[in-house]
Amino acid sequence: MAAHPSEGNKTLRSTEMNMVQMFLNQECAYDCVKELGELGVVQFLDLQRGTNVFQRSFVSELKRADELERKLRYLASQINDEGIEVPLEFEIPPAPNSTITDLDIDALTMSLETELREVNKNLSAMRNSYIDMIELKNVLIAADQFFAKGSIWSTQSVYSAEEGESSRHLNFVTGVLEREKIPLFDRVIWRSCRGNVFVKIVDILENMTDPDTSEEVEKSVFICFYQGEQLEKRVKKICDGLGARIYPCNEKASKRHEVRDQVTVRLSEIEDIIAQTVEYRTRQLNDMSMEIRGWIVKIKKWRAIYYTMSKFSVNEAHTGFLAEGWIRVSDIEEVRQALVRGAKTAGCAVMPILNRVGTSAVPPTFHYTNKLTHGYQVIIDAYGIASYQEINPAIFTVVTFPFLFGIMFGDMAHGLFLFLFGLYFVWKENYFEPRKQLMDEIVFMLYHGRYIVLMMGLFASYSGILYNEIYSKGFDIFGSSWRMPNDTTVYTSDDTVTLDPKYDYSDPYFYGIDPMWIMSDNLLTFMNSYKMKMAVILGLCQMTFGLFLSLINYKYFGKTLDIWFTFVPQLIFLQCIIGYMCFLIFYKWLFIDAGRDQPSIMLAMIDMFLSFGSDIEESDLIYEGQKYIQMILVVVALVMVPIMFAAKPLIEAYGKSQDTAEYEALSYDSDDDEMVQRERHEAQARLDMWVHQAIHTIEFCLGVISNTASYLRLWALSLAHSELSTVLWDMTLYYGFSSLDWDKGGFVLLFLVWAFWAVLTVTILLCMEGLSAFLHALRLHWVEFQNKFYGGDGFKFLPFSFSLILENEENLEEISNI
Amino acid sequence: YFIQINLRMGDSLTFNIDNGYFDGLVRGFRSGILKRNDYHNLVECETLEDLKLHLQGTDYGPLLANDPSPLMVQTIDERLKERLVHEFTHIRNQCTAPLSEFLDYITYGYMIDNIILLITGTLRNRPITELLPRCHPLGRFDELATISIAQSPAELFNAVMVDTPLAPFFKECVQDENDLDEMNIEILRNKLYKTYLEDFYAFCMELGGTTAEVMCPILAFEADRRAITITINSFRTDLLKDDIENLYPRCGMLYPEGLKFLKNAEDREEVRRICERYGMYKDLHSGVGDGPNDKTLEDRFFQEEVKMLALGFMNSFHLGVFFAFVKLKEQENRNIVWIAECIAQKNKSKIDNYIPIF
Repeated sequence: MAAHPSEGNKTLRSTEMNMVQMFLNQECAYDCVKELGELGVVQFLDLQRGTNVFQRSFVSELKRADELERKLRYLASQINDEGIEVPLEFEIPPAPNSTITDLDIDALTMSLETELREVNKNLSAMRNSYIDMIELKNVLIAADQFFAKGSIWSTQSVYSAEEGESSRHLNFVTGVLEREKIPLFDRVIWRSCRGNVFVKIVDILENMTDPDTSEEVEKSVFICFYQGEQLEKRVKKICDGLGARIYPCNEKASKRHEVRDQVTVRLSEIEDIIAQTVEYRTRQLNDMSMEIRGWIVKIKKWRAIYYTMSKFSVNEAHTGFLAEGWIRVSDIEEVRQALVRGAKTAGCAVMPILNRVGTSAVPPTFHYTNKLTHGYQVIIDAYGIASYQEINPAIFTVVTFPFLFGIMFGDMAHGLFLFLFGLYFVWKENYFEPRKQLMDEIVFMLYHGRYIVLMMGLFASYSGILYNEIYSKGFDIFGSSWRMPNDTTVYTSDDTVTLDPKYDYSDPYFYGIDPMWIMSDNLLTFMNSYKMKMAVILGLCQMTFGLFLSLINYKYFGKTLDIWFTFVPQLIFLQCIIGYMCFLIFYKWLFIDAGRDQPSIMLAMIDMFLSFGSDIEESDLIYEGQKYIQMILVVVALVMVPIMFAAKPLIEAYGKSQDTAEYEALSYDSDDDEMVQRERHEAQARLDMWVHQAIHTIEFCLGVISNTASYLRLWALSLAHSELSTVLWDMTLYYGFSSLDWDKGGFVLLFLVWAFWAVLTVTILLCMEGLSAFLHALRLHWVEFQNKFYGGDGFKFLPFSFSLILENEENLEEISNI
Repeated sequence: YFIQINLRMGDSLTFNIDNGYFDGLVRGFRSGILKRNDYHNLVECETLEDLKLHLQGTDYGPLLANDPSPLMVQTIDERLKERLVHEFTHIRNQCTAPLSEFLDYITYGYMIDNIILLITGTLRNRPITELLPRCHPLGRFDELATISIAQSPAELFNAVMVDTPLAPFFKECVQDENDLDEMNIEILRNKLYKTYLEDFYAFCMELGGTTAEVMCPILAFEADRRAITITINSFRTDLLKDDIENLYPRCGMLYPEGLKFLKNAEDREEVRRICERYGMYKDLHSGVGDGPNDKTLEDRFFQEEVKMLALGFMNSFHLGVFFAFVKLKEQENRNIVWIAECIAQKNKSKIDNYIPIF
């Protein structure tokens, strides 16, 4: 069997997709879908779109799943509240059968839930009465204090008042109230009883937990003394309104003590019962905790199957279902086998039918990735999912992305740290992989992009070596090519010396920037010029590359018109302007002598357009015949603009008009109305096309300039990075080395200075600068590179797969748990 | 004060400094409000379980996921309220003046309703513990629980309300020593509402800018609605005309001439004629009647209100959206509960009486 054409370049383009139709018999549908869910390669289409949720088939099953999930959630939350650890790793069970009879989960959870609720109810009642008892105890204690001998509220005074004048008998009420309500209570009593009620408050020091909310509450005992029925009514009403508990309390100390003894006995009783109940409950929950995850997974699978089946359309006789979906071409055999397996499990005589169908619908996009490319694919997908079968830039991004990052982050040491950081994650991959879900968001992101970090570090070190830069210093490995002149007259008074390349320079330095430059005063001028030019050259390379990718796309999709009237003029336009500039850069590097007046490339480029056709001054001349070459280039570039704009629509319009002529000849007697409609529609389409074309032409032409300018960020960021690192060195370690007194413990200070420098290096130069360089590299890829060829209006292939569903659900669960 | 000046000078310039986040939030919440299409689907439900299933597909999502079936209408009502309160308090807890003050004003209305609910309840000898859960959660405050001790409006003020934010609204009732019977409670409610509305109106005027532009007509409408309702409810009572006039909020469109006519109105027909003199209320009474297909005047008011509130979202940089959101959401809750009630009672003849919002 010959390999499928798509096998060869699996990564360059998205996989080829097929629309398939399945006819599933009613008996075997569930089992077939189950098999497909385990396989996870079919993206089912919703054939019931526009139907209400509850008018679809299998609503009752979905509702039942809801109900079961609710019960399981309740059980899980109970287990969670109890602080019982649910085993992290467990074997994922297969989906249950269609009526979940093999699971008996309904009865199981039902009995468990009711039992648990019963236990909880009892427990909460028990705890409530426990709290009651504690409150009562405290009330009694507090009452003892009030009525203690010597206090003015002692029983004595109360009784003496009673003896003296029975109408002035002081009544009292005792109770307990939440502490936060005490001030309000006080205030309302004072106001509504006009100060005729005496309130005494004692805080309860014991901690109490509300059994319903399991929150700690603080409470206080109050005693109110009042006179007369009117006030009693009011006080009771206020207590009632604020939810205070009123406890009876005898005036006689002996009776109070009696009650107190009873309370103490009762308390210890209740404590025992609570302990027993809690133990029983914990045991039960412990048993459950071993099983619960399996149950949850099973119900989720069961629900997912029915949810998928509710997307199918039912045939007229209600004997089977029609399902449609996308699958990868290479998976068709597996799907067929899965269906057969499903039919066999169901014991169904009629085999399910799988058909490939032609369709005009655009298939979803699926790219094969591996550990390395996955991160890059995510970056590309974040911009937009590739259109079906177009070139996938992720593959090229694997190298260009870290490379452009490296250009901006060029420093041997910084790059090395980044590399080691990425390496650590890669190294410990097996350890981290199962713990992914537990990671903090930022760590998770870094872990996910570990290969990107690794490669970014690698490329940053590489450009660091090219720039000869480590912590803003350089080093001399191969021996500088500059010599100090023997002639002492060139040494000036301010300790500087000017080296002349004519005499003091031999062959170029073996690799990268000569270390002598790093020490020189005009390092910045030199490096700026070098990095700026390099940025433009790299930009041109990447943009041209992007254009050629568009050529491959056009060829693949057979758009010949686009090749000749979009790609070619675009390429010529770009090369005539930016390509020519790069040519000038190279020419100047190679052939312009260091000794002569340096002609400015910038001026040459500006004059090329603004002083079209005028002579070039001798000092600005780069090569002979420059004027004529430039005139030709400008004319050619300008000619390309109308071609880009008008050629394609004109040719298409011409082609159409011939078609229409034929059509009209054929159907001269067709409806007038229809003709008018069609014409209007076509006019609209034509207008749209012209607008579209105009936008694209303008965008490209401006883009040639602005995108190139945008690549200058490579230089800017790189400059910023090395300058920051220089400043940091000069401000900290330089002082540490040069001005500290070694004999007087200067090394301690030096250590502090070093620590300061190290922390700033990591936070500012590695983290902040790294992030910024990352974002700029991202932008260069998303905008400057991809706008040359990338459509990005596809949609992702999301197969019906249990493992995907469970993964997503787990994430959701974690979120909802927080 | 600085912020208030800014609001007056140019809302668009400074509004988002303090309120941008909340504005965004509330506009996000707004897009979760059910559309006509959702209502069409809800109305078609056969059982409350269907309703739950359908609500899952809307912005409400897992609202009812943890409630065991069989579902009760009351549970749905509670969950809906809980959600509104949750969204409201989320904003209220984080915002700064004047938005916080504005939101407080919104809650005062609910507080007044709660007070009246509790007083009426205690008058009928219902225990306060049974009444408290029925209070609207947006209008709960600590002192609420002690209301039952009050025998007269004056006492209510002196004993309970004096240091709540509602105290200023009692300025007309401080001297009122009448016993709280049904009639007096109604008068108290209207007096409180009158001062509340006038106060809120003045507050919005003070904020100025778009907020005033949006809020003042809404509040004016509310004031007129109360005036008209008071008039209609007073037909067969022995209230004096001047007393009635005292209850009318004086910030509506009808103030002052319309209210003068209104207080002398003797029947519905006369009220209708007075309303027709005002452009805004011209069509208010159309379709109102007692027939099976007629609407109640109350529903017509709600309809008009929803229209005004929905328009509030058209303007940017004003606080009216918060008011509009709370009220619209409340209307939506009423709609859902109405539909749920119809479904639960298997009586679908009037199920279409909900008021769609968007």
